[in-house]
Amino acid sequence: MVNANRKTESFIYRYAPAIILFISILNEINFNNYEIKYFSFNFAYILIFYYSLKRDGGIGYVFVFISGLFNDVINGTPMGMTSLCYLLLCAAAVYLRNITLRPNLFKDWIFFLITILFLNFITFTYLILFFNYETNYFDQIINISFTFLLYLIFSNLFKLFDNIILTRLN
Amino acid sequence: MEPSRDDFVIAIRSAFLKKDNQQIFSLLSLILFSIIFLVLGNFNLKVINFNRTIIKEVVYISSYIASVPENIIKKSFNKISNHFEYYDDYQNIKYEVEELKNKDLLKEIIKYENIELKKLIDDYFIEDSQAYAKVLIDRESPFLRSIIINKGSKNGIKIGMIVYDDIYLIGKVVEVNFLTSRILLISDINSKVPVSIQPLNIQAIMSGLDKQKGKLQYIKREKLINNNSKELTVVTSGSGGMFKSGIPVGKINSTDTLENDQIIVNFYRNFSQLKYVKVLSHIKKDTNIDQSNKNFFEKNNDQLLKLSNEIEVNKILKQQKFIDDKIRAKLEIENTKLRKDFINIEEKLKKINQSLDRNKNIKFLELNLLYGPKCRKSFLRPNLYKINTVEYRNCILKKGLIGKI
Repeated sequence: MVNANRKTESFIYRYAPAIILFISILNEINFNNYEIKYFSFNFAYILIFYYSLKRDGGIGYVFVFISGLFNDVINGTPMGMTSLCYLLLCAAAVYLRNITLRPNLFKDWIFFLITILFLNFITFTYLILFFNYETNYFDQIINISFTFLLYLIFSNLFKLFDNIILTRLN
Repeated sequence: MEPSRDDFVIAIRSAFLKKDNQQIFSLLSLILFSIIFLVLGNFNLKVINFNRTIIKEVVYISSYIASVPENIIKKSFNKISNHFEYYDDYQNIKYEVEELKNKDLLKEIIKYENIELKKLIDDYFIEDSQAYAKVLIDRESPFLRSIIINKGSKNGIKIGMIVYDDIYLIGKVVEVNFLTSRILLISDINSKVPVSIQPLNIQAIMSGLDKQKGKLQYIKREKLINNNSKELTVVTSGSGGMFKSGIPVGKINSTDTLENDQIIVNFYRNFSQLKYVKVLSHIKKDTNIDQSNKNFFEKNNDQLLKLSNEIEVNKILKQQKFIDDKIRAKLEIENTKLRKDFINIEEKLKKINQSLDRNKNIKFLELNLLYGPKCRKSFLRPNLYKINTVEYRNCILKKGLIGKI
């Protein structure tokens, strides 16, 4: 019984981020397309960046790739666009982890901002140049700002969640 | 500079190429996959389209499954919020029903009063005979507007009976055959109906003008122009005894009256669309008030009075309750204020008592210094008191003036 519980907890610890990512994408609760004016943020960016930064192997690159494809299908963006962004985000997080000796939340935060700015730049450039998509820049700025600001809150929540599970596992 | 560039290269290489035990693909290979997807997406290749269709199918099914809990939550939330709304609606409806009941009661009272008064002035008609008939021919003659119905003397139709469409007046019977009858519509130019304009209570004669309209005669326009109501209702006045009073006929629009020379009545019913009509005759109710009727009226009046009184009492009680509630609320506020004041005063009193005790003690100590030897028990004065006894204290406070010395 105890062994089964440990197995379940270990499974939750390993796959919970991936499950949350898929649920948020499939349920469209990434707060990207909500009808709240002046409030939107990209939950997937925060989740992927945090776990790629904090865990060796992150959520799992294949999961991230597939979730990106799913997001493209749901949002109607060109296939591979979101996957590319998510994977670049993973790459940035892993790079930061490799060069960091003493982790610091503030530095992570600033690096996250630079990364999402870069990713949005790639996305919009691609969408506008190749697909003639029309975008509202004001909405995008709001989205980036809230994604950046809420990273602090969510990173603490994820940390709390990890601590709870790890305490139970140990 | 050289080592730092090496670090950068190592970090980048590690980020893109390093594979964990559980990772099937490296980050770089997946990024390349994405780029291939993106590039090939621009070309209309069958393979890509096929893959895209498969992924879409998988996503839509997964999305449906994943959204089940969310939908359940949403539905439950909607259900709960609907229940709350229903409760609010129920409360509102309950209140409205109460109001309507009260209004209905008042209406009933007024109706009974009206009947009583009409009986008194000998103007109360009751239905004598009633028949429903189908319109057979609707003549569109320019001079005569009339219809033929499929009921005649065989069915008890008589000349002069009033014809209704629902509750609205449409004409009267002018010709009766064995199986059919002719109805002269009120839209006919020869039809003269004594009418009353409500709520101004102006009397006039209405004759037909058009299919849908009638005109008022023997009436002063100024009377109608100088009123504030936008729409006036035209009902039969009952003058002449041809029609029963109070049958709705049509409406007068005040703005039309200002624009036209004639006063036009717009009928409630479209006479070209008639299919079934109701033919009625009325008789006056026997108003010879015998003793039993008188008793009945008196009883009825008493009940009406009682009801009116009860309504009045109810109103007064409601007002009283409202005032009582207000007073109670005020009293409660005052009560809390007084309670607070009381607590404050008690605290102050306590402090005063404490200071008084302190003063007494100080006074005792002062006197003790002066008169202590006069009260303290000693070898030479065995009759005096021990220190810290009540007697000693009394002795000190009396400045040692006791008869024992």
